Amino acid sequence: MALSGLAIYKMLPQTNCKECGFPTCLAFAMKLAARQVELSACPYVSEETKAQLDSAAAPPIRLIALGRDSHKLEVGNETVIFRHEKTFYHQPGLFYRLSTALGDQEFSGLLDQIASYQVERVGVALRVDGVAIQDASGSAETFAKRVAQAAEKELALILISADPAVMEAGLKAVEGRAPLVYAATAENWEKMAALAHQYGAPLAVRGKDGDLEGLAALVQEITSKAKAEDLVLDPGTRGWADTLAAFTKIRRAAIKKNFRSLGYPVIAFPGEGAGADSLEMETMLAAQAIDKYGSLIVLDRFDKAALYSLLTLRQNIYTDPQKPIQVTPGLYEISSPNADSPLLVTTNFSLTYFSVAGEVEGSGRPAWLLVTDSEGMSVLTAWAAGKFDAERIAKAVRASGVTERIKHQKIVIPGFVASISGELEEELAGWEILVGPREAIGIPSFLRQMAA
Amino acid sequence: MAVGEERSPDNGRPCLVRFEPSGLSVTVPAGTLLGDALAQAGLSVPLPCGGQGRCGRCVVQVREGPVRRRSALRLSEADIAAGWALACQTLVSGDLTVWIPPAEERVLRAEAGDRAEKSAPEVVLCEEAGPPWVAAYPLAVEPPSMSDNTPDLERVQRELARQHGLREVRPTLPALSKLPSVLRDGDWKVAAVVERGDWTTPAGPSRLLDVRPTHTDQRVFGLAIDIGTTTVCVYLGDLSTGALVAHASAFNGQIERGEDVISRIIYARQPERAQELKERVVGTINALIDSMVEREGLSPDQIVCATVAGNTTMTHLFLGLEPHYIRLEPYIPAAGRFPPVPAGQLGLHMHPEGLVDCLPAVGAYVGGDITAGVLRSGMHEQEAVTLFIDVGTNGEMVLGNADWLIACACSAGPAFEGAGAVSGMPAVPGAVEQVWIDPRTLEPTWTTIGGEPPLGICGSGMISLLGEMLVTGVIDKSGRLAADGRSPRIRVSEEGPEYVVAWAEATARGRDIVLTETDIQNLLRAKAAIYAGATVLCESVGLAITDVERVLIGGGFGKHIDVEKAILIGLLPDMPWERFTYLGNTSIQGAYLALTCQEARARVDELAAKMTYLELSADNRFMEAFTSALFIPHTDESLFPSVQESLARARGSEPGPGARSEGSSEGGSGD
Amino acid sequence: MSAAVPDVKEIWNGRIVEVTLGAGPDQGGTRRTTVTVGGQNTLPFLHFEGQMPHKPVVAVEVRDQAPDDWSELLVQAWGDVLSDPAAWAARAEELGAEVIALSLDSAHPERGDTGAKEARSTVRRVLEATGIPLIVYGPGQPDKDNEVLVAAAEEAAGERIALGNCEEKNYRTIVAAALANDQLVIAKTPIDVNLAKQLNVLIGDMRLSRDHIIMDPTTGALGYGLEYTYSVMERVRLAALSGDAALQQPMIVTAGYEAWRAKETRTGEGVPAEWGDWRTRSLLWEANTAVTLLETGADIVVLRHPDVIPLVKQAIEGLMQDSPVA
Repeated sequence: MALSGLAIYKMLPQTNCKECGFPTCLAFAMKLAARQVELSACPYVSEETKAQLDSAAAPPIRLIALGRDSHKLEVGNETVIFRHEKTFYHQPGLFYRLSTALGDQEFSGLLDQIASYQVERVGVALRVDGVAIQDASGSAETFAKRVAQAAEKELALILISADPAVMEAGLKAVEGRAPLVYAATAENWEKMAALAHQYGAPLAVRGKDGDLEGLAALVQEITSKAKAEDLVLDPGTRGWADTLAAFTKIRRAAIKKNFRSLGYPVIAFPGEGAGADSLEMETMLAAQAIDKYGSLIVLDRFDKAALYSLLTLRQNIYTDPQKPIQVTPGLYEISSPNADSPLLVTTNFSLTYFSVAGEVEGSGRPAWLLVTDSEGMSVLTAWAAGKFDAERIAKAVRASGVTERIKHQKIVIPGFVASISGELEEELAGWEILVGPREAIGIPSFLRQMAA
Repeated sequence: MAVGEERSPDNGRPCLVRFEPSGLSVTVPAGTLLGDALAQAGLSVPLPCGGQGRCGRCVVQVREGPVRRRSALRLSEADIAAGWALACQTLVSGDLTVWIPPAEERVLRAEAGDRAEKSAPEVVLCEEAGPPWVAAYPLAVEPPSMSDNTPDLERVQRELARQHGLREVRPTLPALSKLPSVLRDGDWKVAAVVERGDWTTPAGPSRLLDVRPTHTDQRVFGLAIDIGTTTVCVYLGDLSTGALVAHASAFNGQIERGEDVISRIIYARQPERAQELKERVVGTINALIDSMVEREGLSPDQIVCATVAGNTTMTHLFLGLEPHYIRLEPYIPAAGRFPPVPAGQLGLHMHPEGLVDCLPAVGAYVGGDITAGVLRSGMHEQEAVTLFIDVGTNGEMVLGNADWLIACACSAGPAFEGAGAVSGMPAVPGAVEQVWIDPRTLEPTWTTIGGEPPLGICGSGMISLLGEMLVTGVIDKSGRLAADGRSPRIRVSEEGPEYVVAWAEATARGRDIVLTETDIQNLLRAKAAIYAGATVLCESVGLAITDVERVLIGGGFGKHIDVEKAILIGLLPDMPWERFTYLGNTSIQGAYLALTCQEARARVDELAAKMTYLELSADNRFMEAFTSALFIPHTDESLFPSVQESLARARGSEPGPGARSEGSSEGGSGD
Repeated sequence: MSAAVPDVKEIWNGRIVEVTLGAGPDQGGTRRTTVTVGGQNTLPFLHFEGQMPHKPVVAVEVRDQAPDDWSELLVQAWGDVLSDPAAWAARAEELGAEVIALSLDSAHPERGDTGAKEARSTVRRVLEATGIPLIVYGPGQPDKDNEVLVAAAEEAAGERIALGNCEEKNYRTIVAAALANDQLVIAKTPIDVNLAKQLNVLIGDMRLSRDHIIMDPTTGALGYGLEYTYSVMERVRLAALSGDAALQQPMIVTAGYEAWRAKETRTGEGVPAEWGDWRTRSLLWEANTAVTLLETGADIVVLRHPDVIPLVKQAIEGLMQDSPVA
């Protein structure tokens, strides 16, 4: 149960001594409530308060790590049901399943492709997180070989076999690598849990057809008797609605009810979905898992186009909504502008951008829209904070490369910052600074007049 | 006799209604509106609100007989018990005797009965102020002789110690240079003006500021100065009695260089422009001092100290401090506590050695005007959780009680100070301060401050007007003029769509007084910023705005604020009216209190030190709350149940789709 | 083996308003099928906690003149019908469209500046060529919107069409046209819960009944602000289910329009090899935008590519299957 700033303040010494680095005890208490500072920064806090505040901070969904060091993947530790409530912290790991039934060449070919796939989007390198080695033959030797092969790559690993003997062979082949053991079931859990414990690996627990009571009971058996604690849940659902229902229930039970037996990350296998007989349907089911609470997603069909759409979706959903909603700064083309089209400038607060871009587009007149980095502030706020001034705009003009794409040297600034036009003229020598309307709604008529 | 509430009147039965004092009478069927009966008798009462029971101007007293009331919004229980009724809301249910009070009494009754009207006092004083910082001490000095050749200064010092217990009084150079002649011209009977200490060193050392011959005016005065972004206000007080002697106010001369603090900080980037801004505000203050000094027949030297309350930026510009970093992240002022500065260094028209005290600031956007305001409000001494809102250009507010205080500022703009609107003006005589609009004709009725012909609209008038425009459908809830073609008063001018409050011929300047759609948007932004600031401030400590037990309002609304209308437009939270208190200009009152009471001055430093400053520009929640409040009264209408009711009543309909259905949202895992 | 799992059903006291698009002969129109959306009292597809009486539907975008800036993939997929809105609409219906979203693009002053007469004729022809309900969009320019949408509303009297976009700047005229001709409106606001609610209140204040309003919260495409729409729609739906009547309107999203503006779909050349096959990528760009918005509360999904129609319909079918989960 999270405590309010005022509730925490009442437990603090209230001396405003400033030794924590904040001007008042209340300011410190508010930072504590927002989990932006450690309680230890206060030298005078009582032991009693410490205990109370620590218990309020335990995460409802366990943080699980697959692998170590450079190939380590962490999932779980989520604290909310909806991303707007705070944020989703650990994006789901994307895995491809490679079966031991594949021939040598096919296996290593796919493995190489998966391991080397990397694409950049908004300055972030996006990659596949790992591979899942599926035991198809029951041969411990083949399994161990494939697992060892996969372990040569910088990838997290999932080992899939129903046979504990085969699983052990796999685990032995990659000791210390902490792959996910998939999966403990009602039938084999004692052995699988023992293996996971022995090899220090996380353990997936598989239920049947979304029977969460059965799954929770299995988890309780495993945690109480086998001392395995790092678990991942598979409720056994494979379709659209049943998976959505099961994942939602698990998430709610953990977060709203603090139900520890379901307080673990969940794993999805969209390729096994009912009706997932095509790449498209598998990918769309995977999209659902990204949208709704999946923590590990194991795909069966490797396709760059499909993968890129999923990596993009994952990046979208796991951005922090607490940061001001912003668009990427840069030069935007609206309705295919040419070298004579006007150049407008605005800030990168999303609402500002959407209103301006929407009005420009609605005007039917092509234009260049230069979006500056105002750290997500609207025009007036950014101007007030010195984040949308002549210097920054001039810098953005030069960095955008727009001068190579337009023939004229005119730039339209928002009416609210008319006062900077003089300075901007100095910064952008030879440019004509035009003062546009204050509100976006005036843009179409402004552009019409400009063209006339 | 008491007037009963009959539920099922026998409609249609003839009833005799007799009016006093005229003695006229008419017979009407039961169920007739009292107002219609009046009209039939050839009598009239004004109905500025168009007979909607909103303005209370048609009040009459039913002295005998039964009536049925539709609404008694404007009447207290005691009024109703005494038979007072609104002619526009009361139905005849039997034979009646009705007394029609004279017009003046009706107006007074309406205003007195208006529970929403909150009036503010001029000044408050410490109950036990203690000795003032500076006082004039009468001295009879032994003339020197050949045997007692002690110099003049030491001679005066000796007598100050002997007669008044003042030791080690250090002279100022101007006092010393005039000392020999004043002593001799005054025949060794003088008054010594001594400053016994200041707020940083209350125990002294003492300073001799001045010596005066006894035949001159011995009184010494102090100034309380409120430097607002928009308005500058100066109070002149007699330091020996604490009595307010004179006051004056004017727009801040810096306005020509930018309406808000940000524009001025940017303007002040070059040193000569910073100097210009300093000179402009000092010029404004000096003009006010000069007018008071002249009116009261004083000498500027008699003003021996000054206490200044200004927001952080205004204080910086006044003292000539670098304001630049106030604007830039992480928003850091040069100082929170300011040193005593002799008035001569600032160029104020007062005793050059008199000290100027700028009250402490808490943060970049919570300044001495707010610490002064909190002092005035007394919230720092109360158990009740109090919200203090200063409705000014910067829209500062403070939440808390004796245990804790947290403050924030939300740039509201000058809309409620009468600036930034086509027909806006400060709350001075001639300003429209109350408006009613007839819902059928959309014709307005207004009152002005002092009853003079209208010059413009002040903040209270804006609030009142906006509320009426909403209730009568002149604007929609987003503040856009919506009653297209329903009245010639709604028109499109060069400024865009507007509503004409007064035609040119009725005004003092011969120009139409209007409220434009742009003005409305400015008002909306101002009220949204203030409401959003209040919400976020409460939420930041885990309270809901409804947890606030008292709301204290400061601001330049003149003598009144219409709380009902302020709630109607969503400026103030929807709470019982008794929780609100209007304090007027809290900044100047706080400064005056600190000027006249050493104990109070010490409190300001204490409360400033414990106040936590919440920076809203770094707070995502503020933007969200602001957008939410950028609607009348608010996007979440469930926060304003009383407004929903009155709108539904005014429009004669069910609450619109904005209404929340009954019951709590047990399952609401989201919002 | 079983353990007691806490009940996590939410008890919502709000319900989404049922809105019917289109009118058959017995209701004064000519539609062979009508579409009803809304009515749910649960978050999307959580059949264990409430009812979702109507499945989300697929609308297909049709323009009154051949688009000159569409991706080559779209141009090829639709072929000749692009220059004839009636044929295009008929083809869309054959391919599984449940609603036609007709855009009167040619009325834009910069793109043809056609007027009320042309608008009436196009609306008439599309109505005659199809048997499914119709949404008519103006060109998004207030004056022209007012002109052609009023004409469309009159021409389609009795058909219960939806008029879009009804925005804060022009809502009064469009709502008046809807009121006069018993049509619906699409209330569009820029990705913000408060603005969405405000517009619904303003429209409600004009006395357009709530079963005539569909909300468009503004769609961000995959990679281009999809997460904002995702969160705004979740917040809208949570508020609606918690009882906020001003947000209980069904939602429409323009997944096709937005997805096909993205660089990823517009071009197959000069892009990184990791982006994979252009067509696969583009179809999935549109489909995954649609899936994500369905998961957060979309009731009508407007699509562009013919081959995405069956994909999204298959997903909806899967999501509507109420297989019991213990």
